[in-house]
Amino acid sequence: MSAQNYADPSVLVSAEWVQQHLNDPSVRVVESSGDALLYPMSHIPGAVKIDWHNDLQDQTVRDYISNEVFENLCRKNGISNETTLVFYGDDNNWWACYAFWAFKLKGHLNCRILNGGRKYWVETAKLPTTSDVPAHPTTSYKVPADLDWRDLRIFREGVLDHVKASLPLVDVRSPKEYSGERTHMEGYPEEGVLRGGHIPGALSCPWSRAVGDDGRFKTADELRAIYEQELHLKPTDDVVAYCRIGERSSLTWFVLKYLLGYQKVRNYDGSWTEWGNVVGVPIVKGALPSS
Amino acid sequence: MPIQKLTELVEELADCDPKERIELLLDYARSLPALPERFAGLQGPESRVEECQSPIFLFAEKTPEGVQWFADVPLEAPTVRGFVTLLWEGTQGASVDDLAALSYDLISQAGLKEILGMQRMNGLAGVLRRLKKIVVETAAS
Repeated sequence: MSAQNYADPSVLVSAEWVQQHLNDPSVRVVESSGDALLYPMSHIPGAVKIDWHNDLQDQTVRDYISNEVFENLCRKNGISNETTLVFYGDDNNWWACYAFWAFKLKGHLNCRILNGGRKYWVETAKLPTTSDVPAHPTTSYKVPADLDWRDLRIFREGVLDHVKASLPLVDVRSPKEYSGERTHMEGYPEEGVLRGGHIPGALSCPWSRAVGDDGRFKTADELRAIYEQELHLKPTDDVVAYCRIGERSSLTWFVLKYLLGYQKVRNYDGSWTEWGNVVGVPIVKGALPSS
Repeated sequence: MPIQKLTELVEELADCDPKERIELLLDYARSLPALPERFAGLQGPESRVEECQSPIFLFAEKTPEGVQWFADVPLEAPTVRGFVTLLWEGTQGASVDDLAALSYDLISQAGLKEILGMQRMNGLAGVLRRLKKIVVETAAS
């Protein structure tokens, strides 16, 4: 157990650890930030950029890239099946957790998050950055044949069953989005939805509550106070997390699954931009989980 | 009518290939003038661009010629910072009417959608919306 008492402390690495492994060929640091100009401006030396939108999402169908495209993405970034990947980014690592989750969907084994992300590296640790784009030797990455993401991802039909079975859902959007007062996150109005509110029974817990002021995750005790004492979740629960497009809920998924050791947590990446537009699905408006 | 200087800067950006466009936008981001001392400490909800995730603030004041505006954008928000600098440089000396008539199309005209993706355009539109609002309000005050 680490000082923070996380269930699986191996998934988090410190800025100091990353600095010590900058030249370790078995480690690849990956920046996934919301602001597309951050990486070209400066990044951790040797880090590659994997963009949550331009790289990981299929540009035609609303889904993740095919296994073949994913293999090419890894190969050209010098990522092999054995590479330890360390994701970091802006916005307290929410895009980094999204990339982490997407790599898990594709079966990559060794994924970690740089605790504190860009904010901690740049502002607190004040560690060096560069604008040099590295060239890593290409690899022969292969997505495993026995890929099974069913424990990571859930689709809307599954969410409907989840609601009918009265199983827990966590809505990690802002309180205004949860109540339906606002149909989009402040700053992202183009991802429109026709209805405001939340999935019936979903508990409200904005993603950012899991993160401290310096961008690092709160300790396990602090996290348990939120998810277990306030929300009354249990590590044995079957939990679904969602937000607007599945990016902020990736961070909550990461927290529940790895830092608190929940046995079954899935991310509903269709999230509110799907649920709030689907004909005939039930929704609830207002600050309470159920109407 | 379109502001000549701004039109030129937008066209220059649009004419770059995507890689050069990122470089040029970063150059802009590096050259945003510092917020004048008299606005220090005045950053608050009324001056913040609420569409942006990062804390971005715009200020305007009356001058004998019209209205002058200023911005405070963190270094760690280079996309907005670059865009704001381009707007600032392009609109120096512009009249209140011209500022109020700024078109939202200039974001796509500058070729920013192509390099940043549709999902990130709203913060920039929010900056424009806020700028137009404070310029008009300041002129009328």
